[in-house]
Amino acid sequence: MLSFLNARQSGLDDPVRLRRAESTRRVLSLELNHNRDVARVHGNGINTLDIEVIDGRYMLSGGSDGVIVIYDLENNSKKLQYSCKTVCTVGRSSRHVHKFSVETVQWYPHDTGMFVSSSFDKTMKVWDTETLKPAEEFQFDGNVYCHHMSPVARKHSLIAVGTKDPKVQLCDLKSGSRIHILQGHRGEILSVRWSPRYEHILATASTDSRVRVWDVRRASGSLFTLDQHNGDKSKASSEAVNTAHNGRANGLCFTADGLHLLTTGTDDRMRLWNSATGENTLVNYGKVVNESRKGLKFTVSRDCSPEFVFVPCGTSVAVYGLHSGELITMLRGHYNNVDCCEFHPDYQELYSGGKDCNILAWVPVLRQPDIEDEETNSKRGGTQAAVNPAFEDAWSSDEG
Amino acid sequence: MSRKRAMIADTFCLKKRRRSAADAVTGDSHEGAADIRSSLQKLMTLFSRKLFNDSLPPVVLKHQLYSLHSDKTSVDKQLNELRASGELLMFQLGFDSEAFALVFAEDYRAKVLQGEAGRETLETVEKFLDKLIPGCSDLSFNKEKMLKEFLFTDSEITRLVKSGVLTVRDAGSWWLSIPNSGKFIKYFIKGRKAVLGMVKKSRYGEILKTELEGRRTTSHVKFQMKYHVHDIVGAELVECIQTTSGTLLRYVDGNNN
Repeated sequence: MLSFLNARQSGLDDPVRLRRAESTRRVLSLELNHNRDVARVHGNGINTLDIEVIDGRYMLSGGSDGVIVIYDLENNSKKLQYSCKTVCTVGRSSRHVHKFSVETVQWYPHDTGMFVSSSFDKTMKVWDTETLKPAEEFQFDGNVYCHHMSPVARKHSLIAVGTKDPKVQLCDLKSGSRIHILQGHRGEILSVRWSPRYEHILATASTDSRVRVWDVRRASGSLFTLDQHNGDKSKASSEAVNTAHNGRANGLCFTADGLHLLTTGTDDRMRLWNSATGENTLVNYGKVVNESRKGLKFTVSRDCSPEFVFVPCGTSVAVYGLHSGELITMLRGHYNNVDCCEFHPDYQELYSGGKDCNILAWVPVLRQPDIEDEETNSKRGGTQAAVNPAFEDAWSSDEG
Repeated sequence: MSRKRAMIADTFCLKKRRRSAADAVTGDSHEGAADIRSSLQKLMTLFSRKLFNDSLPPVVLKHQLYSLHSDKTSVDKQLNELRASGELLMFQLGFDSEAFALVFAEDYRAKVLQGEAGRETLETVEKFLDKLIPGCSDLSFNKEKMLKEFLFTDSEITRLVKSGVLTVRDAGSWWLSIPNSGKFIKYFIKGRKAVLGMVKKSRYGEILKTELEGRRTTSHVKFQMKYHVHDIVGAELVECIQTTSGTLLRYVDGNNN
């Protein structure tokens, strides 16, 4: 660490290197911290989490009971022990609350004045955060599995919506119109994601095992379909040609730079694709247990040197190295299935929510003081509490 | 916890690691491929030849290698290199879309010709093997490829299917296959199910690997115990946990089996 600091100070290294090394160290030391928890409001499982992009201060969560809660993640009390409080909720008593489970929530990418939620009651509502009333409501014919707004869009304000219908619908926030549809899939759309690099590129995953990448400006169909065998028709059985997975494709996530796309499927596999060419990079993550009937919400770390993928796997969150495919660790702490996880890029914290109605905050462990520091402190009679000689023994170590 | 310390140390030892890794990298590719080859040979010795009256070449499944090497991506890469060089052949077995069988090319050739000796399909099979082994690393072939690239006629294709080298996949396309492998697949699936059942029925659904390897095999298990253990570990049908008494295999509940 000191070498990194020295190098940065003397100009030998790019400032980014120190940041990346420290972020990576922090992500590798994620653990449950008893000083930090999130207020428990949901009465039923939590389906989705979203942290706003501008400050990283407010987090939205949507639950299976239709309730939407906003939490304040920032610690303004001077104490170490902090519980993230709720700022406001759209509870069951509200007139406009969703009737069935909320599947996806997302903050408006440009400010926190607005957020959009979609639910199994076949509606998508655009809420005004201050009054907690829907400013706009879109009705659909089937259950809405997911929606996404582009985080980098300046020229359009389209929300891509995936429903039971094989057609992907694009709803325009500015005009309220929904005439733009993308045809091509043959099954329910379980996940949609805009690229964080280009505002017109959209990826969709569906139960027909295919993942398609679209340019919404194009009138004709998708740009390409992701093929797990990279066009090598000999590997697949004839029905499985041109599919991204051997089961339903139910999770999508772009990496932070938008150059790679991760997909998960019910064949218990996760694949990494080059998002420009659609080529399968053939990184083998092994068996990523996936039994989700709806979309799976997973996330990728940001600004770390080997990037990490956080995938909910059963009752724990699995952390994989993005390009190496090795399982780094499993974060265990939930009592029931984990449904969603969200990475806070500024503090390298992970929030995960699941069926046990808890949102757990995984916080990087602070550095332990060196043994030398402890000795020097005790010599000065400093702040470190010295061990009473009566309790010292020869066989236990003072680490851990 | 010492594991955590190891993970933190990694990033900050990047510089030191890189220096030693850089020296290793240049020699690594040769070592890596040799590594896979030696693991393959080790696994092939576990294959019981006399069970099939010596009519099958030693077969290893791709995921058995994952139980010996931790980095799956590099294993895949090295396997592809071996296949491209014509040393190794890969086959799609019917029962699982992810289960691939690996056979050394010379073994395959020797056994197939041995099985074909005296039959009228011998020359067609020889012709096919000559075309296949040095150049082609496909798992399946469709009609145009057979007719145009390999210049086989329809009747020759029928003879190849009859001899067992090709199996029907679809109208007009065929999988590459190992002749007489039906018995192998049958015993393999039965054995896998029996071994998994042994793990499941143990107390708490878990058993030490050494204990499992030492257990007496029932009549359902025709292969060697170690062969099956590598299979279930590599296919992640059981969870591998390191304990102070060795590796523990725990049955994973979410299996389809």
